[in-house]
Amino acid sequence: MDNKHIIGVFDEEDALMEAVHEVKEKGFRIGEIYSPYPLHEAIEAMGKTSRFAFVAFLYGFAGAAAVLAFMYYTAVIDWPVNYGGKPTNAFPSFIVVTIIITILTVTILSLLTFSVRAKIYPGKAYILPDARSTDDKFVVIFDKSLLNGKQTELEDILKQKGAVEVYEKELKPEN
Amino acid sequence: MDTKITIPKGLTYAALAMIIAGAGVMAYSFATDASRAWANLLLNNYMFLSLAIGASFFIAIQHISQSGWSAMFKRIPEAFMAYIPYAGVIMLLIYFGMHNLYHWTHEEALASDALIQHKSPYLNLPFFFIRMVIFFIIWTVMTQMIRRASLAEDQHGGMLYFEKSELYSKIHIFLLALTFTMASFDWIMSLDVHWFSTIFALKNFVAAFLHGSATIVLVILLLNKRGYFGEMNKSHLLDFSRYIFMLCIVWGYFAFSQFMLIWYGNIPEETEYFAHRWDGGFKMIFYVNFAINWFLPFVFLLPQILNKNKNVVMTIAVLLIAGQWLDLYEQIFPVVVHHPVFGIQEIGFFISFAGLFIFITAKALAAAPLIPHKHPYLEESLHHHVH
Repeated sequence: MDNKHIIGVFDEEDALMEAVHEVKEKGFRIGEIYSPYPLHEAIEAMGKTSRFAFVAFLYGFAGAAAVLAFMYYTAVIDWPVNYGGKPTNAFPSFIVVTIIITILTVTILSLLTFSVRAKIYPGKAYILPDARSTDDKFVVIFDKSLLNGKQTELEDILKQKGAVEVYEKELKPEN
Repeated sequence: MDTKITIPKGLTYAALAMIIAGAGVMAYSFATDASRAWANLLLNNYMFLSLAIGASFFIAIQHISQSGWSAMFKRIPEAFMAYIPYAGVIMLLIYFGMHNLYHWTHEEALASDALIQHKSPYLNLPFFFIRMVIFFIIWTVMTQMIRRASLAEDQHGGMLYFEKSELYSKIHIFLLALTFTMASFDWIMSLDVHWFSTIFALKNFVAAFLHGSATIVLVILLLNKRGYFGEMNKSHLLDFSRYIFMLCIVWGYFAFSQFMLIWYGNIPEETEYFAHRWDGGFKMIFYVNFAINWFLPFVFLLPQILNKNKNVVMTIAVLLIAGQWLDLYEQIFPVVVHHPVFGIQEIGFFISFAGLFIFITAKALAAAPLIPHKHPYLEESLHHHVH
């Protein structure tokens, strides 16, 4: 399959974002943006939304409820023990454990959710259009088959907005 | 943009009316129930002082972290700091109410109580007031230095005053850590003279920071409603509500830590503190305190649809001011008044001090341009954008 992409490389975040907004206005479809650090503006510009925060909240809520229920069951219902005359339902002392387990639940389940949704797993072959995006460059790629012959127009815009390099490359999974 | 703010005549008169109306109630209160009156005086003065201290810490943190986003709002915490010397004068007045407030000042208690004798090298009247004067001198001098550097920056511009502000802020938070710790031990914790808690000062300091920040946000939003801070956008609001959100969690953490360790340890000399605060009708306040200062801000500022809404953030800020009052009520009233009371005296004292605070803050706010137009990070602040 032909997997040719146009790749624009930028030195600066601002230049990249200007170019992204410009090509979006001209009706080009952005394939993907690679950057050394997370760019919220880029995620917004690509029209991506996320329900991740809400899912994380649900995990936390469920985790807290589950651990409280577990402690109540073990300490009050199943095996009540008298510790120095304290009530078996020692709620204030449950809170510390609840906080810790809640954090652990959110962390682990979020990691798993993210891996499933992004289809990432250890040892997966990856596609990296330009390795310099892991260093100090900002990279935006466009699928060549969707350009309908407007390739020169796109390349002109990218160069005009300050791309240090624009080139064509066939993307292949690497290991 | 660099216009001075004009305080409406109505606000000045309203503040003065509040002071005078409250003063009438105060006079009545001292004549009828002196202990309750002194408890109210201590509560309100400490409360508005801690708003000013919290504001001074807020601005010091902005200076030290060289924050850009908050640059255009720095006049508000600066105006709050103007209350500190006035609070000092009022705090000195409790000299006349020491016997009503502090058990350790009683001669017969000192004669018969080994613990009070043990603490007397620190807890004695002369040293108590020497410390108080030192605290207020340090706070007044440091906050004045920060304020002057900020005003000088408005005149001359450049990086010099920006760097000076940062240096003064570093000294200020260092001194504040020591002095505010001792101040809260002296004025609030020594009410229960047999009791001690090492996390007490930290908890009270975080309360000051939380409620000071909430009041700053409230004033900014009120000014915004009147047409000032036109450049304020959703990102500023989001950062402010995150600030309150973060601090309410920290407050909840410390308040709960103090309670949980005492509850779990369950040794008499520690538990008596909460025994006083659970018996005699005070127990409800204990729960309401956690609800107002932690739970409600936490829940309502969690979803972005609410924490980007000006009215929600404003309501939470007002709620937190009530929460600060309630938190101090729980600390002061059970030992001084012994049973829960709420009436015209409490309202009168609060109104009077609120009037004084508004009067002083408004005057300080009007004394300088609202926007620090030569602050090096002003442009960043005006175009602040977060996601």
